Amino acid sequence: MTENDRAILKVSELSPQAIGWSRTLDLLIIVVAAFLIWSVSHISFLLLGGDWDFFIDWKDRQYWILIIPITTIIMAASFQAIFWNLFRLPIGATASLLLLLLGTWIVRYHSWEGLAYFPISLVVPGTCLMGALVLDAILVLSRSWLVTGMFGATLYGLLFYPANWTYMAGYFQPVMNMGDMTSVADLIGYVFPRAGTPEYIRIIERGTLRTFGDTPTWVSAFFAAFVCIFLYYLFWGLGVLACNARFFPVGERFKSLYGAKGAKDQTAGGPVTQPGASS
Amino acid sequence: MSLHLRMPRRGLSLSLLLAVMTFASTLVPVPVAAHGERATEPYIRTRTVHWYDVTWSTQQVGVNETVTVEGKFHLFTDWPDAASKPELAFLSNATPGAVMTRVESYINDMPAQQSVSQLEVGGDYSFKLVMAGRVPGRWHLHPVLSVHGAGPIVGPGHWVEVTGSAADYKLPITTMTGEVIDDLQHYGVARLQLWQAGYALIAVAWIFWWIRRPLIVPRWNAIRKGREDLLVTRTDDRVAAAMLVLVLVVVIFGYHHATQKYEYVVPLQAGSFKTKPLPLPPPEVAVQMKDATYDVPGRSLRLDVEVTNQSDSPMRLGEFTTANLRFLNKSLAVALAGVDPSFPKDLVAGSGLKLSDDSPIAPGETRTMRIEATDAAWEIERLVSFLTNVDSRVGGMLFFFDAQGQRHMVEVFGPIIPVFTQLQLAQRH
Repeated sequence: MTENDRAILKVSELSPQAIGWSRTLDLLIIVVAAFLIWSVSHISFLLLGGDWDFFIDWKDRQYWILIIPITTIIMAASFQAIFWNLFRLPIGATASLLLLLLGTWIVRYHSWEGLAYFPISLVVPGTCLMGALVLDAILVLSRSWLVTGMFGATLYGLLFYPANWTYMAGYFQPVMNMGDMTSVADLIGYVFPRAGTPEYIRIIERGTLRTFGDTPTWVSAFFAAFVCIFLYYLFWGLGVLACNARFFPVGERFKSLYGAKGAKDQTAGGPVTQPGASS
Repeated sequence: MSLHLRMPRRGLSLSLLLAVMTFASTLVPVPVAAHGERATEPYIRTRTVHWYDVTWSTQQVGVNETVTVEGKFHLFTDWPDAASKPELAFLSNATPGAVMTRVESYINDMPAQQSVSQLEVGGDYSFKLVMAGRVPGRWHLHPVLSVHGAGPIVGPGHWVEVTGSAADYKLPITTMTGEVIDDLQHYGVARLQLWQAGYALIAVAWIFWWIRRPLIVPRWNAIRKGREDLLVTRTDDRVAAAMLVLVLVVVIFGYHHATQKYEYVVPLQAGSFKTKPLPLPPPEVAVQMKDATYDVPGRSLRLDVEVTNQSDSPMRLGEFTTANLRFLNKSLAVALAGVDPSFPKDLVAGSGLKLSDDSPIAPGETRTMRIEATDAAWEIERLVSFLTNVDSRVGGMLFFFDAQGQRHMVEVFGPIIPVFTQLQLAQRH
């Protein structure tokens, strides 16, 4: 334990016994929070990002680069706000993306390969983890959600493409198939059939956004960064709102509705018989 | 009283056991064999894509060996309004997951890796699918035409046995830049996992840096008492700055390395191709549906049609086909010979086709005849729900044969009336 840790404990005015219990509580909350962050981040991403991250032949230069950052920053910002406002812990964004990545890999092996026989090369996921680390680090350095949104969210959106291109570039090498040039990613999607996912359902490379360097990639990355700023502020606000949640005031009408009204009086008068219970 | 106390405990134990078993069952992947070919609504299956002359080159392949499914499909003129017209479609196959791999696919001998656009209703197209065995097992293999806005329209399916070991499956390719890929199903995975594991390691280190110290209650109390200065220190600032630099360096280095290593890359290919219908001669038989009933208890489709032979050769009706079911005129040898030995037996109705007048229709003759297609397959294939469709219509293809044995295909379609009792049937006819 460092000097700083001892100072925190002193300020918190916990008794020596309570300090021991608080560490146990820490561990319990870490486990529970991990599952909560995992599930919320994963469900949110499945609903919003979905197909663009499921399959290698959906990872285009336009929508994939735009959609994945803006659909993951919302939970990253919310959890960052909660952890920062309540505990000054700058780990919310990193934890959200790390657990999302862990959950994604479990599903890829268990369901996609195990149930549908898809090879892993077809279903490799991307990640915004590096952007999340930047988001948390800038929050520490700035102590400001405003500055974090301005610079951290921008970098969050911008870093997604280069951080993933590092290991995905190979999937976009040209290859010949049946006399046509295609990419390795396209070929993987063609060879390993998805009966319910026809080729035309892919929403990729629409429009004419190829002004800069004959590719829409960096235009999409900068647009993703731009959108990320606003979504960061919006969902940071949502996280702050969650921090301020209070117990709903329980009135007599509510108690009556749930059968709680008068329970205290009955208990005082003798054992309460549950409806339908036999003696 | 003791029993009263034990029962809830036993119930709780059973509930817990059930919960554990349910959870455990989700951990073990259990693949399914079916893929819902009978689930598509009958109005789609009877009035959109009619598959014919479909053959399977073999019913048993080893891992890496190929089976070819080929034939033709006709796009029905009476295409239902509730389903989008085939402006954009993709030739695929139905199997339970990627148990077989798609080696090649063609529509009208044109490569069909991409979607095909602007197919013409009323036209006929040839198709060919070459599939390779990947996972051992007995798999139902169908051709499928996925139509944008109408969904996957499944052709006839046949069981194909894949033998051998899944571990033997390999798909080596060489890219146009000369890189040799040993096996496409594992390509790039190790590299990707190594990088992502590295990213995750950095993230774990960052999280551990923060959670190793007193956490929830002490930090919450410190904030309430205005001592936030204790919670994020100068050391934390330096660590955060180092983390920021580390992330940027790793990303820039990795990106630069990848762009150097893979100098030539191409985007995902998203175009479609076009092809005209097969140049088939127009049918020399005209058919007009006069009345159609489905006898619910008798499981019999009865069509009253007016047939005009416009050729100079006598004609006989040999087959009625709809939704991949085939009803054959068993007294016509050329019709029976049209069923390829590889065609699935369960899709050929055992009772065949019953005609009110099976004599040849003379050239120029117009005849009204009744066609009865009776079989339990209407129920088995879940086709009778066409009675509850919004437009209550039925459609199919009639195959006539002239004296030289040449086939003339013609569409038949129109409204259909369900009859639920024999009395009702007698009143109608």
